[in-house]
Amino acid sequence: MRIPLIGKVAIIWVSLYLALKFLVSPSLPSSVIFMYMSLITVCILLFVSVFPEDAEAFFGPIKRFIAGDQTDSAVRKLGRVAMFAIIPLFFGHRSYQANMPSYEPPLEQRIVHPAPPTEFTGMYNPYREDHEHFAENVKRGGEVFYRNCVFCHGDKLDGTGIFAEGFNLRPANFQENGVINMLQESYLFWRISKGGIGLPEESTPWNSAMPRWEAILPEEDRWKAILFLYDYTGYKPRTWE
Amino acid sequence: MNKIVMRKVVILLFLMLLSSNSFAQEKSGFGNVEAGKKIYTKRCIFCHGEQGGGDGPAAERFNPRPRDFTMGLFKYRTTPNGMIPTDDDLFKVVTKGLPGTGMPSWESILSSQERRDVIAYVKTFTKKFERQKEALPVIEVGKEIASSDESIEKGRALFKSLECFKCHGNEGRGNGPSALTLTDDKGDPIRPRNLTLNWHFRGGGEAKDIYMRVNTGLNGTPMPSFKDSLDNEKSWHLANFVRSLSPSSRPEINGVIKSKKVLGNIPADPSDPFWQDAGAGGGAEYWFPMVGQVIREPRHFTPTVRDIFVKSVYSDKEIAFLLRWNDPSESKDGEPLPVVGGEGDEDLFEGATSAGGEEKPVATALDDAVAIQFPSHALEGLRKPYFLMGDEKNGVNLWTWKAGRLQESNANGIDKEVVQGSANQALSGGGGYHEGQYKVVIKRSLMTADQEKDMQFEAGKFVPIAFYAWDGHNAESNTKRSISHWYFLLLEPPIPRDVYVKPPLVAFGVFGCLLLLQRKLRKNHGKL
Ligand code: HEC
Ligand code: HEC
Ligand code: HEC
Repeated sequence: MRIPLIGKVAIIWVSLYLALKFLVSPSLPSSVIFMYMSLITVCILLFVSVFPEDAEAFFGPIKRFIAGDQTDSAVRKLGRVAMFAIIPLFFGHRSYQANMPSYEPPLEQRIVHPAPPTEFTGMYNPYREDHEHFAENVKRGGEVFYRNCVFCHGDKLDGTGIFAEGFNLRPANFQENGVINMLQESYLFWRISKGGIGLPEESTPWNSAMPRWEAILPEEDRWKAILFLYDYTGYKPRTWE
Repeated sequence: MNKIVMRKVVILLFLMLLSSNSFAQEKSGFGNVEAGKKIYTKRCIFCHGEQGGGDGPAAERFNPRPRDFTMGLFKYRTTPNGMIPTDDDLFKVVTKGLPGTGMPSWESILSSQERRDVIAYVKTFTKKFERQKEALPVIEVGKEIASSDESIEKGRALFKSLECFKCHGNEGRGNGPSALTLTDDKGDPIRPRNLTLNWHFRGGGEAKDIYMRVNTGLNGTPMPSFKDSLDNEKSWHLANFVRSLSPSSRPEINGVIKSKKVLGNIPADPSDPFWQDAGAGGGAEYWFPMVGQVIREPRHFTPTVRDIFVKSVYSDKEIAFLLRWNDPSESKDGEPLPVVGGEGDEDLFEGATSAGGEEKPVATALDDAVAIQFPSHALEGLRKPYFLMGDEKNGVNLWTWKAGRLQESNANGIDKEVVQGSANQALSGGGGYHEGQYKVVIKRSLMTADQEKDMQFEAGKFVPIAFYAWDGHNAESNTKRSISHWYFLLLEPPIPRDVYVKPPLVAFGVFGCLLLLQRKLRKNHGKL
């Protein structure tokens, strides 16, 4: 069976639309799709009007459908009424969208792991090599964690403490692969000592609830807390390669 | 040694091994005690303590405190009042956790076998499990009676006749007459649950969960079992009523408060019909979680206010906020605190001190208060002030309502708050306390003369906004408070007239074109 020209055009038009909508990733915004589809429509119209017989094959059925006549079936009549309703509504809706102002809150982007200041590079955890007291030191680190950090970073160290929901920069998840196993202990020591407010501007310090622990915890406890974070999660700190 | 002796020794050893193993199995029934001990030591001791006494190093910073397993009193059960829980009850608690308490869901980190093992170990802290020889009786949730106005009304009557209101308050906000004096079996102060916020229920917020709770009671707490006064029907009515006090689903954070433009004056009284009228102040209410200020010393680990509800509208002249939050008591500076645990109790003022743990006792309440925070002036780029009371360079503008008094101030850090001069004080408002809930309106003119210290409001601009709340009965003042993060406020510009004019014009135009086309085509019929 031969597909009439108008059918072919419809198939091409619809498949191009579906391709733009579903095959392109990342997905295109609807305004861009609308632009492409308008362009495609113009191209198709140009293409079919070059030769008179194409033009007749394409526009003929459309013209007859719009004009209609007594012998039309009920379905065709209904289709015509629908077309007279849908096309104006479609354009009305687009005009509504174009005229209705929309407001989007400013997007904040941040660098999650900025470079630490030089005085915090190349430090070693003084308790890492103390094998004799290791278990004791980890336990002390655990006490520090459950008395201070648990409210935000959570009992399971996964960033879901009872207060986590209240902060819209969510507390770090230490169980997640790619966080503390990709960081050096000196980096953690910097972040814990100086807190959110000690971050550089590109990391939006004003949004971080991470306290500046040097004001609350002695240095010893901060190192032991780090020991605990690695021990509990089973990760190894990143070392100087 | 001859072979026979050898064999006997081997068999004996084998039997010993078997018996010790089966001993462990017997004690637990469904988990391995030894394996459970390892898990417990790694994951539970910091709260529940090495000996299960609920006295781990973190215990004092939680309210309610971690359970003392040696007492053998468990709250969330399917067994009758006073009984120990079934293994399934414990499994459910350890799996799902107790929302709103330090006790988390362990599902993501412990396999179901590991959860069984740790439960087997937890059960060894008290002799009660060992002594229980017969199978435990279990309360079944009977045939459901679907919620309906009729069922809810019957439930409301039961809420009254069974005197739930004495603890939970007339409207269920945990503010009954005895609410502030209750203690649990360890002598720690305990507050009745606010029944209007079911996402904070520990044992589940749906009707079937409430059904179970009122039948089992909560061991070790003043919350009794009502099993003897209830049957299946009554249980469902009561549960349907309690369920109806909370919204149908947990509210979600919507990061932008849209302030709607209204005509005329904005009433300062929250009970004015204006605030119910859909065409005026009856629009969307936004919910935000509030959390303890645990960032700057002195910190606050056990805040009272965990939710705030906000509405905003503006007119040609003013912007107004209607804030709603729950607090089981109205407190004013200097009022004596109610006696916790009845007269003659040594820890007279536990209620006030348990909050921080480290503070010295306070004998009187402090003011309840709430505050809204904005940056001191419009943002340059994306740089906001530090979300907790601003920073050195970027100050914040605070609108505080404190036990009925309004005050404007500025801060450049939590310890650097300066009240504005009396000439600059421009807030007005009203409202107050009713049945466990504050409703307060705070208003100011959109623009003021002091552009450095006062946020200026313009339609269409995003303004950062945050909230604070203090419960005077919980020894909250200054840094001891509930805090929120930055969200945004948007004064919605009135919808431009074009939106109503252009689309119909376009639609009519297109329709006209189509008609013209049709006419033309019909005229040329012969040629088609
Ligand atoms: C008030 C909530 C809060 C508390 C309490 C808190 N943190 Fe944080 N923490 C955060 C937030 C939010 C972040 C993520 C934002 C950031 O990186 O600053 C974070 C980030 C961190 C990071 C950086 C992780 C990374 O990927 O760079 C470390 C390390 C950390 N916290 C350790 C701790 C330790 C240790 C404690 C206890 C001594 C603690 N935190 C207590 C909120 C908190
Ligand atoms: C950060 C502190 C914390 C940690 C860690 C913790 N719990 Fe809890 N747990 C609590 C608190 C707080 C309660 C009491 C909640 C209440 O009374 O509503 C509790 C209650 C319980 C209960 C009693 C439930 C009932 O029905 O009464 C059990 C059982 C329990 N925890 C088991 C565990 C186990 C097992 C672990 C370790 C895998 C654990 N907890 C770790 C804080 C904690
Ligand atoms: C003597 C005071 C008292 C009375 C009377 C009382 N309650 Fe309670 N109720 C409490 C306390 C205290 C708690 C919180 C216990 C806790 O946090 O461990 C509570 C908790 C609850 C909870 C929350 C359970 C959960 O999963 O979090 C519900 C629901 C409840 N009560 C319903 C009722 C109903 C319904 C009645 C009347 C039939 C009632 N209570 C009568 C004191 C009381």
